Amino acid sequence: MTDRTLNSAPPFTLAGMRRGVVASQPLAVGVFVYGAAFGLLAREALLSLSEALLMSGIVYSGSAQLVAVSSMGQGTLPTGTAALAVLATILLLNARYILYGAALRSWLGQLPAHQAYPTLAVLGDGNWILSMKAAAEGENDAGFVFGSGLAMFVPWFGGTWLGSSAGALIAQPAAIGLDFMLVAFSAAMACGMFKGRSDLRIIAAAAMTALVTERLFSGGMAILAAGLAGAVVAWADFKAEQAQ
Amino acid sequence: MIIRPEFLLLVLAFGLTSLACRIGGFWVMSFVTITPRLEAALKATPIAVMVGIVTPAAARGNPVELFALAVIGVIMRLMKNDLIAAVAGIAVIAIGRKLQLAS
Repeated sequence: MTDRTLNSAPPFTLAGMRRGVVASQPLAVGVFVYGAAFGLLAREALLSLSEALLMSGIVYSGSAQLVAVSSMGQGTLPTGTAALAVLATILLLNARYILYGAALRSWLGQLPAHQAYPTLAVLGDGNWILSMKAAAEGENDAGFVFGSGLAMFVPWFGGTWLGSSAGALIAQPAAIGLDFMLVAFSAAMACGMFKGRSDLRIIAAAAMTALVTERLFSGGMAILAAGLAGAVVAWADFKAEQAQ
Repeated sequence: MIIRPEFLLLVLAFGLTSLACRIGGFWVMSFVTITPRLEAALKATPIAVMVGIVTPAAARGNPVELFALAVIGVIMRLMKNDLIAAVAGIAVIAIGRKLQLAS
């Protein structure tokens, strides 16, 4: 990663945003399919098209929205403790974003608030991974993070719209492997980011933690737990690494 | 434009929860001095998160998906291009699932 002197804000340019938009396009197909899956479920839960689009715009989190609509079966909305239970689930599912934001601090920390917070508001799995990889390769422009996040709204809304309004038209996205998009990119980028033996312990800890967590909870929890496990191992290994 | 008022309230609550997660970690870190050690820990999170995304999919043990992951690994070794590797992996899934359906 390039040196970032303290107290100097990173650039936030249109060119950086454009690079982010371009880099994120391969992920757009997967986001579109996920959006369509949500739209379909929203339709089954008797949400109107406006409601489905509103939820995609405001919540903007696939796993959280799937849980939310599954609590709204047949047009009845959860109230009281049922609503709170959904809220707590969403908090757990999205807790990985807390980690993502923390990891972005050293890059975006000196940005003015009117640039930093909109950038964080459009944060997603794919664009965070892309951004961290770009940063490791020397990207310094915070516009990259914003552009790659904002760009994903287009397929997210598009997918929601298609799923909610024309559910039956989508044949079987899983049949052509589109559900595998984020997994495939994560696998490829993890290979690309692998730097040698010092990463092995991090990977082993992350994999084992993900396996255990996946058995106990669903969705985003395995991702969060794996990320934390990797961070803990890197923290513990730090002295050895420094001695190199 | 049919939006039920109580639906709007729910969605706002869900949205605020998501937003709190998105900005919370970043905000909290403004009170923390990022030492080199902490920086190293945070820098380890991307690869760990990717492993966290891939491992559950691999652990389901579906041969098509395992083969796709192997193809991705080989292409990354040979070409070091993650776009080509990922697209090849998805192609393997598409073809493999088609063959599975046919058999």
